[in-house]
Amino acid sequence: MAVDRPKSHRLAEHGLQSERLLWPGKGPSEFEQELGDIESQLGLTTLEKAIAWSQTRSMWPDTFGLACCAIEMMSIVSSRYDIARFGMEAFRSSPRQADLLIISGRVAQKMAAPIKQIYDQMLEPKWVIAMGACASSGGMFNNYAVVQSVDKIIPVDIYVPGCPPRPEALMEGIIRLHERVQAGVPSAYEVGGVAK
Amino acid sequence: MAVTQESRADPIYDGTRIPSPIPTVLEVDPAIRDTDDILTVNFGPNHPSTHGVLRLIVDLDGEVVVGLHAKVGYVHTGFEKNMEQKSWWKAITYAPRIDYLAYQNNELVFVLAIEKLLGLEVPAKATWMRMLLSELNRIHSHLVWLATGALELGAISMFWYAFREREMILDLSELVTGYRMHTRYFQTGGLAEDIPPGFYPECRKFVEWMPKAIVDYDALLRKNEIWEDRTRGLGLLNRADAIALGQSGPVLRASGVDWDLRRDDPYLFYDRVNFRVPVLPHGDTYDRYRVRIEEMRASVEIVEQCLDRLERLEGEPWIADDRKVVLPPREELHTSMESLIHHFKIVTEGYSVPEGEVYVAVESARGELGCYIVSDGGPRPWRVKFRAPSFAALAATATTVQGAYIADLIAIVGSLDTLMGEVDR
Amino acid sequence: MAFEGLPGLVETREAFGETTLVVDPARLVEACMSLRDEHGFEMLIDIAATDYLGWGAPGVSGYIGTATGRNLNRPMTQGLQALPAPKPKRFSLNYHLLAIQQGAPRVRVQVWLDDGEAVPSVVSVWPGADWFEREAWDMMGVPVEGHPHPERLLMDEDWEGHPLRKDYPLGGEPVRFSGEE
Repeated sequence: MAVDRPKSHRLAEHGLQSERLLWPGKGPSEFEQELGDIESQLGLTTLEKAIAWSQTRSMWPDTFGLACCAIEMMSIVSSRYDIARFGMEAFRSSPRQADLLIISGRVAQKMAAPIKQIYDQMLEPKWVIAMGACASSGGMFNNYAVVQSVDKIIPVDIYVPGCPPRPEALMEGIIRLHERVQAGVPSAYEVGGVAK
Repeated sequence: MAVTQESRADPIYDGTRIPSPIPTVLEVDPAIRDTDDILTVNFGPNHPSTHGVLRLIVDLDGEVVVGLHAKVGYVHTGFEKNMEQKSWWKAITYAPRIDYLAYQNNELVFVLAIEKLLGLEVPAKATWMRMLLSELNRIHSHLVWLATGALELGAISMFWYAFREREMILDLSELVTGYRMHTRYFQTGGLAEDIPPGFYPECRKFVEWMPKAIVDYDALLRKNEIWEDRTRGLGLLNRADAIALGQSGPVLRASGVDWDLRRDDPYLFYDRVNFRVPVLPHGDTYDRYRVRIEEMRASVEIVEQCLDRLERLEGEPWIADDRKVVLPPREELHTSMESLIHHFKIVTEGYSVPEGEVYVAVESARGELGCYIVSDGGPRPWRVKFRAPSFAALAATATTVQGAYIADLIAIVGSLDTLMGEVDR
Repeated sequence: MAFEGLPGLVETREAFGETTLVVDPARLVEACMSLRDEHGFEMLIDIAATDYLGWGAPGVSGYIGTATGRNLNRPMTQGLQALPAPKPKRFSLNYHLLAIQQGAPRVRVQVWLDDGEAVPSVVSVWPGADWFEREAWDMMGVPVEGHPHPERLLMDEDWEGHPLRKDYPLGGEPVRFSGEE
């Protein structure tokens, strides 16, 4: 029953002119109109919409802290930034139980193999956020020891810039991921790209 | 001040518990190795304790740890090599990311080392502010340690309490420097910018609030029977072993050694403030926890004293006047040719540091953080080595976990307060 | 602190308020034992290895920009600086010691080594030297004789080369900028 979806995670190719979506139901606006167009274009069934809705309401991250960004990732669990309002405060220790892998910190060459192993152990559907400059591109460490961007190893959905990104910036990344999922944009591993 | 006397009459344990022949690897006793009871478990680089990416290969006989082998290097970033390629000024940016929890201390030690080679005198206001920020950072590091350490042992609510105060410290940091973490506020010669107005009242509010918060933490944990059961008498490290393994900071002080670099090898203006140095004799996990709580209290007092001095230094310079090293104020660039040239040279080539090698140590939240730099007289460092206190603390793991259960292993490794960023650099 | 009777002492240097004792590598363990037992330097703080390959070679003047982009590994100018004093051998291994006493006396024991020349292990003197010596081997390729567990510490076990050496490249990827050919 799979509908032919454009194989891309660029929102523009899904027909969205704007960079952001607003949550549907927030009032009539052109964004909601575009969302409706996407849905009719993609032909998301009610069931798929419901599944996407529930995926975003309870997307559990894996406790994967590498370096400085991990400290800011911990602070989104704290009461000021409170990720529990998104249902994500349950950081799972086992990748088998996690949906979201937030690569927070620099990826050393030695750590590349464990990261790939952990990503493989996660069950579909799964998403990856590359948090911080080091995970997105190698950051300030353009040298022998750091993998220049974790998307050389695993496919990444959202890149959050910053060194380290503020907790609000990470939340923005997470919210954008939620909106992507709700719009029906496929996960990065389905799109193909670097690694599968 | 008798620093060499035992502060406790009976030894914690007799002799030495450092494993032999390899001090950092606990080998399984040959008598039980060949039975089928030994289970080797991999505490992989990804595990739910937030010390970072530490890999422990643990041999278990039932639930007792009989063998331990720590493997590190999973966040090795090549800091030292990267810093050699940048100018002295740009290399300061790399420093805080080494110990990413007590980041201000890294900047401090690197900048102090450069200033020692340069022979540069730093104005008083900058020194007091450096002290203040370093002590705030110590509280910050201990708060995160407390939050995650308690979280691992099951006292989950500590996390939210401690992070509440942590956010207050990061707010102060943001007020002064614009950054929550990795502030890059310390510059060779002083501070990057003047202290903004409104900082002192905010810091005072924090100083008044923090002791009450520490009372809250004590109410949760100090006399808590479960906490005491899980931490008392575990992870023993006696005085001689602690010194032989090169421990420093709270780990050393909890083993009965009255040694604090701020008091015994003073840097900045620590000889002008009064503060307590907590020393406890039992050398177990509970004592390390108590030492850090008391250190937080002492740090608040130091911050208060720094605030008192700083408020009187309003309008003073915040950076040294040496134009060969320090950027001239922007207004001067319009009028003075020499300032323009200095600015150009400093920004493009970087200032040159005289030839030599120095080692500077500060008391970071984890212990003695040292920076050894070698300069060839040029604009770039020839060699930068950071001596990380967690490097030595992690080497003590094999000594402290002997005879412990696997659940205690978590408590003990947590109490050593290791941070993998500075172990691996 | 007088160090004249130290076994293997070659030279004593004082600079920037620090004492550096240059010691013959063959008698290093004796010297360290003497420092620990007689002079009270109970704590080994750090072992830092430094590679002096290319020390004193004059740098190239000016900012090197090329058509393919900025090369991160070209040196910056050293201008008309006086060249630094030459070093006796390629590698120096520095042992930073601390005495837990009034005044916090510190000393640096320095040994000079050629490429491949081994240094005896001081694990028998200070057990905490274990990982520092492994790191010196891993990062700089300074072989340590008598070390109980001479494995790589920070890099992968099968890594080739010693990253902190001066002839080891920085690595990384060339950074391309948009709008260039």
